[in-house]
Amino acid sequence: MIQLEGTSKRFREIEALAPVDLEIRRGEWMGIFGRNGSGKTSLLRILVGLSQPSTGRVLLEGKPPQPEDWRTFRSQLGFMPERVVFHENLTAEKTLRYFARLRGVDRNEVMPALESVGLGDAAKRRVGGYSKGMLQRLNLAQALLGTPRLLFLDEPFSGLDPGGVGLFLDLLKSVENRTVVFSSHRVHRLYGKVDRICVLSAGHVKALGTEADLCHRLELPVRVILQPLPGANGKLEADLGRLALGSVGNEDGKVVARVPQVNKTAFLAELKAFDDLIQYLRIEEPSIEEILLETD
Amino acid sequence: MRRIDAVAAIARQELTARLRNRWIWTAGALLLISALAIALFGSAPVGVTRLDGGGQTLASLMNLSAYLVPLLALILGAGAIIDEKRRGVLDLVLVYPISTGEYFAGVFIGQYLALAAALVLSYVPTGVALHFAVGADAVEFLLLLGLALLLGAVFLAISFLVSILAKDRSRGMASSLLVWIVAVFIFDLVLVGGLVLYPGQVPAALFGLLLLLNPIDVFRLLCFKWVGSAAAPLGLSTVMPPLPTAALLAVLVFWAVVPLVLSHGMFRRRVAADRLV
Repeated sequence: MIQLEGTSKRFREIEALAPVDLEIRRGEWMGIFGRNGSGKTSLLRILVGLSQPSTGRVLLEGKPPQPEDWRTFRSQLGFMPERVVFHENLTAEKTLRYFARLRGVDRNEVMPALESVGLGDAAKRRVGGYSKGMLQRLNLAQALLGTPRLLFLDEPFSGLDPGGVGLFLDLLKSVENRTVVFSSHRVHRLYGKVDRICVLSAGHVKALGTEADLCHRLELPVRVILQPLPGANGKLEADLGRLALGSVGNEDGKVVARVPQVNKTAFLAELKAFDDLIQYLRIEEPSIEEILLETD
Repeated sequence: MRRIDAVAAIARQELTARLRNRWIWTAGALLLISALAIALFGSAPVGVTRLDGGGQTLASLMNLSAYLVPLLALILGAGAIIDEKRRGVLDLVLVYPISTGEYFAGVFIGQYLALAAALVLSYVPTGVALHFAVGADAVEFLLLLGLALLLGAVFLAISFLVSILAKDRSRGMASSLLVWIVAVFIFDLVLVGGLVLYPGQVPAALFGLLLLLNPIDVFRLLCFKWVGSAAAPLGLSTVMPPLPTAALLAVLVFWAVVPLVLSHGMFRRRVAADRLV
């Protein structure tokens, strides 16, 4: 759907984004992760046509876009910038009506959009009196106006409480086959939610693929957390260490084994022999966060 | 969405936001008080304090317009678009299916309508008071208002150019004030200084043409042509460039269009290159 070919961005001496090849596929959820200043926003701005690349090119549906192609693309696009300061003197309803007019959306869709993000009761209040979380919800409401098929969201979870994040993800899922591109440094919010991950570091794409692919490619270990029975902590740690299938340590009274993917099945099979020492256990697959740390 | 609808939506939003801002009403009140004061005390220098519907009042109102309208327009437009960029609204709006040209036109029209509202609401009560109290010529007053509105458009366009060049509101404001000082005081002082330094050597026609380089002087020249009673008390109606009224009007329109076209071109290029601020 959108392709970047050798696309880079420079601001004078600073290389915000090194040449990147990337395709956003129709219907996929992609997470662009990286620390602050890693080039996420530059990449997102190029993808939505807000910024012209310094080198390389952007293709829409396989061809270089003309102004009218960008217009058509944007008519299906919802964009949530990281930071936006709405006019403080206007109410949320008036603010959203403005964006509805810009997108050619019926004004009757404004109140349902505000209600869907939990701002129905505050619709007549001036935006100047809104909290950070409420502003973020308003930002989301404008992005969702007209039920766009494409959503580009820059740091969408900033200022949202856990309830807000849940509501947010439910709203995104409400349209089938919607393409969603997230840019975030808060990777834990998106565990298991995205189809593909693009990890950026200092303007370079360090990893690109599905979560499972990347964990495998980077040989990230599985964490097996074991709660020993009272008094069995030391013995369990020593015996598991002797198996030599991974590194074993102690964290907050629990025995934690970091086991490479290739040894995972063998390690779990060996645990049968320690049944009388283990109260319970939990297996944690490598997370996006670990991918981020590993590629940084 | 039709393009005209996008422009109208942006203009309406800009107008609503400006009209909800106290600044524009404070400026309008200042204009109203000044205009009424001139109407009432226009003849004070000759020892008469009463409503004066004659040339002195119109001449004073013309000068008031020449000083205050550019100042209001320059202040209103300082930070135009740049503020929206800093607030993140510009990036958001430009991701909607609209062009930079539609956005630019919408912002200008919205801001201009806010300025026009302030001018109309401050001048009309003055005109009505003058008309009913002393029978001031309504047509001349409306012509003066019309020219003041055009002058406002010129300086709003200049303020857009200054704002985009300055890259932030504070520098834009400082540059706008400099433009105002040059247009209102320094330009004429330099011209008059030239006349004093080279007595008899500057032909009247050349002097008249040099006046075209300053839109405030073009505004005054048009007032002299159209608002006859305003010209008489000032005794300046003899300094006229050899141009018909329509050409003078075209010059004033040119002064509005050129900065607007330049600022839009610059805006479009800087948006594309991520160099707006």
